[in-house]
Formats: sequence, structure tokens, C-alpha cells
Amino acid sequence: MTSAQLEIQLVAVVVAVACALPGVFLVLRRLALVSDAISHAVLLGIVLAFFAVGDLSSPLLLVGAAATGLLTVFLIELLQRTRLVREDAAIGLVFPALFSVGVILIARFADTVHLDTDVVLLGELAFAPFERFVLFGWDWGPEALVEMGFVLALNVLVIALLYKELKLATFDPGLALALGFSPALLHYGLMALVSITAVGAFDAVGSILVVALMVGPPAAAYLLTDRLPVMLGLAALGGAASAVGGFWLAHALDASIAGSIAAVVGIEFGAAVLFAPKRGVVALARRHARQRVEFAEAMLAIHLLQHEGTPEALAESRVDHLDEHLRWERSFARRVVRRAERRGYVVTTDGRLLLTDRGRALARTALAV
Amino acid sequence: MNAPSPALEVLDLTVAYGERPALWDVDLAVPRGTLTAVVGPNGAGKTTLVRAVLGLVRPAAGTIRVFGGPYRERRRLVAYVPQRGSVDWDFPTNVLDVVTMGRYGALGWLRRPGRREREAAVESLRQVGIEDLADRQISELSGGQQQRVFLARALVQDAEIYLMDEPFQGVDALTERAIVALLRELREAGRTVVAVHHDLQTVAEYFDEVALLNVRLVASGRVEEVFTEENLRATYGARGFLERPAVEA
Repeated sequence: MTSAQLEIQLVAVVVAVACALPGVFLVLRRLALVSDAISHAVLLGIVLAFFAVGDLSSPLLLVGAAATGLLTVFLIELLQRTRLVREDAAIGLVFPALFSVGVILIARFADTVHLDTDVVLLGELAFAPFERFVLFGWDWGPEALVEMGFVLALNVLVIALLYKELKLATFDPGLALALGFSPALLHYGLMALVSITAVGAFDAVGSILVVALMVGPPAAAYLLTDRLPVMLGLAALGGAASAVGGFWLAHALDASIAGSIAAVVGIEFGAAVLFAPKRGVVALARRHARQRVEFAEAMLAIHLLQHEGTPEALAESRVDHLDEHLRWERSFARRVVRRAERRGYVVTTDGRLLLTDRGRALARTALAV
Repeated sequence: MNAPSPALEVLDLTVAYGERPALWDVDLAVPRGTLTAVVGPNGAGKTTLVRAVLGLVRPAAGTIRVFGGPYRERRRLVAYVPQRGSVDWDFPTNVLDVVTMGRYGALGWLRRPGRREREAAVESLRQVGIEDLADRQISELSGGQQQRVFLARALVQDAEIYLMDEPFQGVDALTERAIVALLRELREAGRTVVAVHHDLQTVAEYFDEVALLNVRLVASGRVEEVFTEENLRATYGARGFLERPAVEA
């Protein structure tokens, strides 16, 4: 592995973790789409700030972009409050407008500078090692790494300091307000973090990947855990893993690094949907199958109990007639009977089922509920 | 000479959503150490009243005093039990953590909950009889258990007045009895409870005071005095068929 390869992966990992942390709160607040809006709309802020200061590496660009991010959120909420459009429509109306103004401004006035729309959308991680951050005559590494390192540190710091407040305002904004924590302030604080992260990240990886990294790893982590701190950790880990995995996938396929990272994010999320221990599709299907058999077992016990000691008990309790009486498929009926026997709810004599005491108890509890 | 100020005093309160009034010129005084029910039909503004007291909706007019002062200065004396449906129970956290949130107000910004807060939370879980659920993920709770968690979260605030929005909504009979017992304990301890309540059958049994609300305040006072057939008809029957109920936020 060359040092350039290492640096690219480092940049990707730092970007991924920086995106995943605020992304967790976006996902929990059902604001995933807002990351899309912000990451596009900040382009306008960058362009305007660039016109003001005339320097692409000025930290003022970050401030301008963050301000546009907040403006986006504000406009979306304003539009929503009119109750003329729903939230998704409001998002879809606001950010393309701001983004398109940014695109037009670049095309019209900033053609000669390094600010083109392809890079804005897709980014180019492969170039990250070329732009060095040099200070005091010392090469501190790729500019993107230094910049995103600061953004990551900021995100970690803010989330660590305001963890309790963010959690409360996300879970129960009413209580947060009643207790004197301003949910509005926390909301806009979080949106400022998302904006700053989006600006820093899209220079390196493009706005599409910013959205993928803010939404994908947190959404996967949400399926894997019931604890918020674990969710933050898993989202960061999942983001980092997709950064490294995506890099080598791109290497193998000779494809775009950002695109490959986004693909790995998708694969990770797909795996979580299928195999998450409690909420995954596979776990749910197995649980349903088990519940179906358990329910059938109780039904069998109730059926036998109802007919116990009655004249038709002989006919009703024949194993090979269960399919008629309970309308079960033969194979399913056999499975239920075998399981019930194994658990000591019934015994079979001469092809007839007899309830045991345990079986009677099962039927009675099932009926009592 | 001066009688102590009421636990809660509402003067000329009007709240409107847009141009539709949710509360019209409501005057209400809740004496200290009582259990007060707020009853009225859907859209009567019961929830709005509670939310206005807590500063969650801004009144168009009127004054609200909690123990003689504005809510902002009395936050620590007030605990809030919102409707169960007001939060996302799939949020990744457990029962103990949710109850500990009741201490956040006393902690203020930046300070983290520690052992003392967790112990207080366990103690309130014990008070509502679900200390064995402390580590349970909140999405696995039944309706009655969710309500107990919210009550425990309010108890841990150790407040003087408890504002509850439908504490009996959708809970099983056992939980209902537990909540009633808890309300009486609070009254024994001199605390005040104001609860939005739906079940007219149990008002006289559970509460001392009642406020009959239908956008305007129809009547308020001791249950035995104001919970009358006539007042109930004025509260529930006066609503015209064409009038659209105000939105409850």
C-alpha cells in the first residue's frame, strides 16, 4: 500500500465517521432527507462566500456554507408551517432552488476557478493527497484530512458535551422545553453541525456520498442495537468500514472511490436489514414461524380439551383427522403433534391423541388470556 | 392575612391555533394539595391547557402563575406526564434512562447524570412497581408499563405540582389502580396533581376538584359541588353539530 493510498483511506474514514455521528441524530429525528437538502444547498453558501473573500481555502467558506445550511432548514420549516405543503415536498422545493442558484453562479461567474459541479456532486477522493496542508514549513498531510479532522473533532466534542441534551430533545422535545432546554436551539445547533460536516466532506467526497454516509451507517446501526451510545459507535464503525471497503472495491473494479464507498454503505445496510439479530428479516421470519407453531400447539390442546370426555372425542382426537377438523395441512399437523409430544403436552395411543396434565394446563392458560 | 397562592392559577387565558380558539378566556385556580381532574369533550382544549402552563404553546392572552410566579421561574416545582403517544417508543434506550431524564432539569446544561440520579430513578421505578423493568428496552413495554415509566420520570423530578395528560389512557385495570394509589400518596405528601381525564365514571372517586372545560371553562371547584348533571350537559351537550372541534396539538 502506498502512502497516497493510505492517505485516501484515512480521509475517507475521517469523513465517514464525521458524517455518521450527526447522522445518528438525523435518523432518530426522522430528518434523514434534510442531510440531502443541506449537502446540496451549502453549495450556494460556498459560492457566495467565495465571491466575498476570493479564496477557496478560506475558513469563511465554511461559515458561509453553514449559514446556508441553517437557512435551508429554516426555509423548509417556514414552508411547512404554512401547511400548504408537507415536509417532504417542502424539502424538495427548497434545496433544488438554492442548489440551482449556486450552480448558475458557478457556471456564469466562477468558470475559471476550481469549483465545478461534477466535483461538487461526486467529489474526487483520488486527488485528496495532492493538495497538502503546509503550515510553518511543515507538511501536515492532505488538506482534506486536516480539514475533516477538525470537523470530526468538532462533532465529537459537541455530541459528547451535549449528549444528554440532544438525546432528550430528540426523544421528547416537549419535556426538553418544559425542563428549560431549548429544543429549537439544539435543533439548529445540530443542523449547523450537519452543514459544517457537509461542506467539509463534500469537498473531499461529493454531496451524494455525504448523504449516503449520514444516513446509511446510522440506519444500519439502528437495526442492530437498542442503546444510543452503541448506535453512535456502530454507526461510526460501519462508516469507517465502508470507507476502507469502498476504497479497495474501487481499486479492484477500477471505479470511482466515492461511488464504491456508497455501494458498500448500501451493502452494509442491506445486510443489517436481512440479518439484524432482533429486527432483521431473517430473525423476524424465524420468530413468526415459531410463534405459528406455538399458537397451533395451544390450539391443538384447546381442541382436545373441549372434546375431552364427550362422545365425539374418539373422532376428534385421531391424529390423521386433524387436518379435517383444524383445517391444517397434513405435514403441518404432523409437525405440531410431534412438537407437542416432545414437550409432553399430548401422548399418542392407537393413533389417538390424549392430553396430559401439562397439556390441559397449556389449554387453560391459553383460554384465560 | 394573605392566603398562600394557589398551586396553579390561570387568568383570562386564551390560546388560538391560527384563528381557531382552543381556549377562550379561561380562569382557573387549583388549590394546593388537591387532585384535580380536567374533563371535557374532544377538542375542548384540555391538552392545550396543560401545554400552555408548561410554555409549550404560546397564549394569545392571559396569565398563568405556578405557586404565585411565572412558569419560567417555577420549572423545578413542576413535573409533566405527557400522553404516551407523544414520543417514539422505538427510540434506542431503556427504562432507567428514560426515567433518569426527569433529573435533567435539576442538572441543567452540560452536567451529566451520575449515580445519584440513577439511584433516584430506580427509587421512582420502585414507587410505580416496575423496578424489575429498569434494563428493559422501551419498545418492549406494554401500554400500562409505558404509562408507569412516564409517571416514574415525573416522580423523579420531586416536584410540587404534577401535570398529567391522560394518565389513565389505555392502561389495564391493575395499572389504573396503581396510578390512583400513587396519586393519593402524592396528595398525602402535600403535592398537587392536575390530570386531564376522560372517564366521567371515575371522576368523583379519584379526584377532589374538577374543571369542566369546553374551550371555555364551564365550571370548576369541588367535585361534589360542580360535577353536576347540569354542568356536564353544558360541557358536553352544548357543542353544535356544525362546529368543528379545535385542533388539539
